[in-house]
Amino acid sequence: MSWLFFSFFGLIGLLLILFLYSARNPRPSAPAPAHAGVADESGRRHVTYLPQILQAFAETDYDFLSKNAPRKVQQRVRQERRHVALVYLAGLREDFENLLRMARAIALLSPELAAVHEFERLRLTAAFLWRYQMIRWKLLAGVAPAPQLAGLSDLVSGLSVRIEGALKELGERAAVAAELASSVNRRRLDVV
Amino acid sequence: MNEIAAFERILWGLTVFLDGGLLVLLLYRKNHRVFPLFFVYILFNFLQCFILFESYRIWGFYSPVSKRIGWETQGVVIAVRALAVAQICQRVLANFRGVWALAKRLLFVTAAVLLLYSWAIARGSWQFAVLNADRGLELSIASVIVILFLFTRYYGIAVEPAVRALAIGLFLLSCFFVLNDTVLEVWMYHYSTVWNLLGTLAFISSMLLWSWALRERQPETMFAPEMLSDGIYQAVTPEINDRLRALNDHLGQFWRAERRRS
Repeated sequence: MSWLFFSFFGLIGLLLILFLYSARNPRPSAPAPAHAGVADESGRRHVTYLPQILQAFAETDYDFLSKNAPRKVQQRVRQERRHVALVYLAGLREDFENLLRMARAIALLSPELAAVHEFERLRLTAAFLWRYQMIRWKLLAGVAPAPQLAGLSDLVSGLSVRIEGALKELGERAAVAAELASSVNRRRLDVV
Repeated sequence: MNEIAAFERILWGLTVFLDGGLLVLLLYRKNHRVFPLFFVYILFNFLQCFILFESYRIWGFYSPVSKRIGWETQGVVIAVRALAVAQICQRVLANFRGVWALAKRLLFVTAAVLLLYSWAIARGSWQFAVLNADRGLELSIASVIVILFLFTRYYGIAVEPAVRALAIGLFLLSCFFVLNDTVLEVWMYHYSTVWNLLGTLAFISSMLLWSWALRERQPETMFAPEMLSDGIYQAVTPEINDRLRALNDHLGQFWRAERRRS
């Protein structure tokens, strides 16, 4: 028996894993919060808390605490701030996923796609998820990253007019689709 | 015919019965209009049983003529199965024109590459030529189904339960045949009886799954969403990608800064 023999078994094993991952029923998406709208889609929700997050990680705050507060209080403050940072990081991921969801919806309803853009987005998603997990683990391990968060605010806030326009058109299409689907369901019920 | 073991004969009879039952079910529920190539595939399978039965009766189970007829009919059946898979891909994705155009190219390239791969690394002897072609095609079919489902998951496209079940049956059957052919290549003579038996069992399992999937009539046409205007994709997607890239870069800086600090 050669490696070729096992290569086919390996290939089939890989295909089975990919198939199990892709063919299972998609998770029902969580219902959108009542206040969700274009403002959420443009990613402003989480980054609005950036000043508070930066304040939470400011070196001066830590210096002040180390001089004036007992050790127990310092530890508790660190823990709470780390928790806030984790929640904020999760929020950034949500912003990233909102952008992704929008990009996919546009791609799905577009008559022509560019393979370059699609594969680029796939690559970016994989890279983002990898880095996100790494940072999350570092935070969980007790390291508190601070100033690098600053630049993120400019990225997800305020999408351009073009994207707002696309969102408007997507919304109209979704409304038409929902109406059509409900009328089809009504007709089915009538037949039954 | 006497060379065939009694158990195998029973299984063969069961295959013919299930094959015929599935054909009737497809016609009765009018699903042959929805999946015409799948219907042709089941029909060819049904006919193959009778052709093989006659050839074994006339020339014997181990005769070279029967073997040739067996492999040639199998080649036709697999080719039609590949077409049935292509039609399933079309049913799932064709309403989304852009995604379908992209998927078609990717599916075609994947199938071709895998076909070449399995051909290139297989044994050179002519005896194995048919076996290698069979395995290559089965591997391509399995990969195409996996890529189809990866596409549907990535873009959030809903797959009808019946189509999902058909695809699962086709996928498992192809995977099984790749493994079965690989083992047969190594232990050609000792394994041939088991190879036939396992192949029949795998096919029976898939047919039961398909019969369950097609127990109800399927809609002939799928809901086709209205496409966005031309140019929206070209205008918006690069901008979204830029933002995603920028988010990524900053996360990267974040990560590097942490490494420097630690």
